Amino acid sequence: MILLVLLLSLKVPDAEQFVGQPKGTSLAGEQLFHRTHEVASLLRCPVCQGMAVADSPSEMAINMKEQVRELLARGYTEEQILKYFELSYGQFVLLKPKFEGVNSMVWLLPLIALVIGGVIVFFKIKNLERGAAGSQPAKPPLDTDPYVARVRDLVSGGKP
Amino acid sequence: MNRSVLFIGIVIAAALVVILFVGLGKDPAVIRSPLIDKPAPSFALREVGTNNTIDIAQYRGKPLIINFWATWCGPCWEEHPVLVANARMLQPNVQFLGVVFQDKEDKILGFLQQRGTSYPTVVDDKGKTAIAYGVGGVPETYFLDANGVIRAKYAGPMSADIIQANLQKVLKQ
Repeated sequence: MILLVLLLSLKVPDAEQFVGQPKGTSLAGEQLFHRTHEVASLLRCPVCQGMAVADSPSEMAINMKEQVRELLARGYTEEQILKYFELSYGQFVLLKPKFEGVNSMVWLLPLIALVIGGVIVFFKIKNLERGAAGSQPAKPPLDTDPYVARVRDLVSGGKP
Repeated sequence: MNRSVLFIGIVIAAALVVILFVGLGKDPAVIRSPLIDKPAPSFALREVGTNNTIDIAQYRGKPLIINFWATWCGPCWEEHPVLVANARMLQPNVQFLGVVFQDKEDKILGFLQQRGTSYPTVVDDKGKTAIAYGVGGVPETYFLDANGVIRAKYAGPMSADIIQANLQKVLKQ
């Protein structure tokens, strides 16, 4: 009886407090197992070095994965579950950062670097072409090249 | 052209130096939690070694310091006497509350009996409370104001100065 009263009085923070009512359909069985792994793969284990919650053997990750399973079983969507963890841990917990704020640099910097690199290569090639066309003297035709004439002379044994 | 390349190189190097300077200048223990300035997730957990339930709502009206810890965590041993001494000094004006997770009841009781305590400790069995607070490791401490709003978070062992500095943030509100 005392145990029952105690259990009823216990209260842990609930996802509903953060992300409202479930917006999806309740999952069970094999489908719940697979979706739990999929969603847990999108979450970073906060006590590990770059490991997903789905892959980490740490107790923290096991607890988080269990919570993902419970939320999916209650009908919460992937988006709601990710939001729930993000509200507690920030975007750090998302293995795929959102395209916003400083995080957008993850996508933009490689593109910017590619464009800058392309411009540098383009101008470098143009410069080389201009240099090749303008500064180097044109080679004399083979018939009038003194070197070729000397080789011919030697090959023919000094006879013209 | 070479001047342009040099200029771009200098700009990139300068940006990296600024990023490193800003990043290395930060105290890694001071974490900007997304829960700062938000109402603390509510919970009511069982007090260790008893059948009493402690609801954080009962502490509304005064600052509350919630310390997440575990007996297997070295820095938690280090900070425990600091917390006990400060709780003796500041209570009842400021309330201290320990939340233990990923631990065993007999070990927690043994720890508290051996090292003493001056504030209640509750057990977070499945770690749900720790997850809702965004706990990434132990010890981590949250400073709530009298209205139950989280005003500061600190990761790492507490010292009297750290407690005072964070309480200032709570009292400023």
